[in-house]
Amino acid sequence: MHTMVRIRRITKRGQMKIQQMSFMLIAVTFLFILVGIFFLSIRLYSLKKTATNLEEQNAMLLVSKLANSPEFSCGNAFGSSRTSCVDFDKLIVLKDRISDYSGFWGVAKIELRKIYPGEEDILCDEKNYPNCNILKLLDKKVNTQPATSNFVALCRKEKTEAIIYDKCELALLMISSESKK
Amino acid sequence: MNKIFERGKSKRAQEEMVGFVVIIVIVSVIILVLLGFLLRSPDTSTVENYEVESFIQASLQYTSDCKDYLEFLAVDDLIVLCQEGGICGDGRNSCEVLNNTLMGLIETGWPVSNQSAVKGYKFDILVEEEGMLMLEKGNKTGNYKGAFQAFAKRGNDYEVSLKIYS
Repeated sequence: MHTMVRIRRITKRGQMKIQQMSFMLIAVTFLFILVGIFFLSIRLYSLKKTATNLEEQNAMLLVSKLANSPEFSCGNAFGSSRTSCVDFDKLIVLKDRISDYSGFWGVAKIELRKIYPGEEDILCDEKNYPNCNILKLLDKKVNTQPATSNFVALCRKEKTEAIIYDKCELALLMISSESKK
Repeated sequence: MNKIFERGKSKRAQEEMVGFVVIIVIVSVIILVLLGFLLRSPDTSTVENYEVESFIQASLQYTSDCKDYLEFLAVDDLIVLCQEGGICGDGRNSCEVLNNTLMGLIETGWPVSNQSAVKGYKFDILVEEEGMLMLEKGNKTGNYKGAFQAFAKRGNDYEVSLKIYS
């Protein structure tokens, strides 16, 4: 009788120890999962940030490159070859054919804003050109990152009663990439 | 006898607590260092300098309202005319026109105020390494972006530089 009670007590203590062990194992596993999720979330956050930064840097480089690309640049139309010079006459024609270029530059928005001499904001189209100061070349209706801009000389052929001459004004070429958020 | 046993148990518990606190402090320091590395923002200053460079390039091509006997002059031609002491077709002093045009361009591109990122600017034109024109405004802080553009016309070397203080 006494031995039976002792055996039962030992068995009970053994069960308790097994229970303790399993609880401990569950707790340790849970802790590791939590730590894993914490590090994964940091890694994911940093990955998203890196992606956004890369997009921004690409946009900055692209906005610098864009002004000197054949579709935008003045070429030799205004005398010698120039850098950071955008041909306004070319762009107003490009605006009508922009659907052919929608995926070409990999950006969501391209806009040109004449800033000096300052005028009232007027959107450019074929009818009011060149008496306007905002040219929206590309505008995909998506969420975008803040615009990246660069200064360019916006040149066109201007006609007075007597002469045709080259007129260049100061403008900002702005592009926005699609937001990854 | 029982008291000695109790005291030994309490001492062991204290040691375990100290060990636990040490481990927590070490783990926290490691996590903080890792977070510091992960959340550090990248440096983009080299691309910003390009902005000033393209501003100078675009400004030199800007067509001023100073006309010679042929056409309206670009700012780089106006610099040469000013250096030679010439006047515009309508009788205005070319240096005065150059001064006003450059002021307008810089004030539009880099508006200086306490609220904006631009705290001041310094614009210089050098001819054969001698100062020809200087425009400045605002505070010269230790943090600036700058660029210069050199060109040669009618036998003279010109150097245009701009520093934007932020």
